[in-house]
Amino acid sequence: MWTDAQRQRLALEHAVLQSEGFTQFSVYRNSSDDTYYANGTTNSSSGRQYRLWIRIPSGYPYARPPMYLTEPFPILAADGSRISGLGISHQMHTLTPSESGYIQICHWRDNRWHSDILLYKVFLKGLLWIEAYEQHLVTRRPLAEFVRTMSEAA
Amino acid sequence: MSTSDSQQQTMIREAMKAIAERRPGRTKLVYDKTKRTIVAVAENAQVPRALNITADDADMFAIVTLSTQWLRNEWDRMIRDGILAIRLSAWDQGDAYSQCDLGAQPAPSIVDGAVMFDGSRIPSISPNVRVVLSKESAGDIAAPSTFVAPDGAVYRAQAWRSIDGREELAEVHLADVQPDLAMRRAGLLESKVLKECSVLCIGLGTGGAHAAIELAKCGLGHFFLVDPDRLSVGNVVRHPGGISQVGRLKVNVVRDLILEKNPDAKVSIYSVAATAENEAAIGELIDQVDIVLCGTDNRPSKLLINRLSIEANVVAVYGGAFRRAYGGQILRVRPRRSPCHQCFISAMPEQANDVEISSESAADAIAYSDRPEAVEPGLSLDVLPIANMFTKIALLELLKDRESSLNILQRDFDAPWYLWLNRPEPGTPYATLPPLSESSDEMTINRWYGVYFDRDVGCSACGDFLSVTAAAYGLDATSLKPPPTAVVRG
Repeated sequence: MWTDAQRQRLALEHAVLQSEGFTQFSVYRNSSDDTYYANGTTNSSSGRQYRLWIRIPSGYPYARPPMYLTEPFPILAADGSRISGLGISHQMHTLTPSESGYIQICHWRDNRWHSDILLYKVFLKGLLWIEAYEQHLVTRRPLAEFVRTMSEAA
Repeated sequence: MSTSDSQQQTMIREAMKAIAERRPGRTKLVYDKTKRTIVAVAENAQVPRALNITADDADMFAIVTLSTQWLRNEWDRMIRDGILAIRLSAWDQGDAYSQCDLGAQPAPSIVDGAVMFDGSRIPSISPNVRVVLSKESAGDIAAPSTFVAPDGAVYRAQAWRSIDGREELAEVHLADVQPDLAMRRAGLLESKVLKECSVLCIGLGTGGAHAAIELAKCGLGHFFLVDPDRLSVGNVVRHPGGISQVGRLKVNVVRDLILEKNPDAKVSIYSVAATAENEAAIGELIDQVDIVLCGTDNRPSKLLINRLSIEANVVAVYGGAFRRAYGGQILRVRPRRSPCHQCFISAMPEQANDVEISSESAADAIAYSDRPEAVEPGLSLDVLPIANMFTKIALLELLKDRESSLNILQRDFDAPWYLWLNRPEPGTPYATLPPLSESSDEMTINRWYGVYFDRDVGCSACGDFLSVTAAAYGLDATSLKPPPTAVVRG
């Protein structure tokens, strides 16, 4: 059950996404089960299309919202293997994948998350991950060479 | 008892007191080889075939310690039955016996004892230790072996212990526990005030456990302890709990250590983690206490405690060491009157992120499967200054609105955040600190620094996040529309 404060916060999140030029993303309410999520389809700088999906946990904003890359599916590494098979990977900057096999992008770890962080910053990290992923595909170098980890970047 | 026996007993008592107090007396004790017994003689007397008894010899007498309060409470039964059964911790091969009820951690060896009046019949099954009370018409009521009964009668206590079928004299100390403990704090700390205070200690690692025990030493009356972990062998080099406690829940270990320092303390324990799943339970505990001490090692728990403490309007103090305890920090949060933990994260993200990785769970929280994080605790030596400050800030906060001579320190500790450095750690902003001995006004190691910073008016925990954030993005918080409803496909 969502509190008024949570619903207001999600309304703010949606409005900030629109006002900050992240109009490809939206917060949505699923009326059938009164859950929330945020998602959208975005293009990388090279023009490839990706879909990012954020589950809004019931403890939001105090609980960290996990962000998944749902399209294209499956996401493959440069060697053709599934990135989701790596699990919590420093090399590829991923956390535990969803049950459906979508990779979870490591934006903030639980130990770094706090409730002042807005969803547009989470999406921004998703966009950076996508750019780093494309660099990985070109160079075959680990994605971690293009984005720092949370423990390195305080 | 004949007159001469009575005189002899008095002389023995005086001689023993003189020996115990390491002062010259009018009488001395000797072992009369002819009589094969100990006798008291005048100090200058020459006794043939006698062995002088020295202070070192006298130290061989065991000491039996009983609670005066207990004896007072049981006095009616003592008068009625003429005997009270007791259980005694036997320490160091019978060198000392202490009443089990005195503390929470009795000795591995427990013996039966009895308190009885002089002349009472010895029970058929003789106890290992007999404490005998002899009525005295007058005497030194301050002596540790003297007991003043509720009816005003004065008794002198002596004990005999059974060793290999023979009885040996032992010294009795009747301890008035709470007054004796309070006396050591008199004039410095208001024990009566603190007895009514309550603290919730969440996280009983080295710092949290040390702080809880220090507060017990101060005479704090009510403790609520929260920690899900068990004491491990690796903890022992830092934690107040010892190797014989390994495997026990930390809440149990710390409860017993608290009761060893303050036997009258009320201690409630909760072996749960401060996580969102236990939010309601933690919130209920916070509602019951005067102050919260947070010694957890992870951000989610700190932010949960921060939010719940603000909601309950209860002051919380956060203490922790930096990595490998090169330094540490204390944050005191007075809800909506000083910066909260969320404000601190926004104002000083580097310091907020710099935490000691002192447990497997803390390491796992930041590890990746292809890049594990090692547990890297600091030295106990480096954690304890931080734990002491943790205690002191909590103590001052508890005394703040109460009568206390310690309140003279309020002016010295009015900053919300305190920084301590144990060493000029490479790779930190403190790597180039001048040597302690060469600096008078520059920042150095081994000094506390109070740092002032403002509350964040737009803080998501203690401020008006919605309005301030909306305004920052050119939005009106009063006219925000709900997010769109999802369109269910086909």
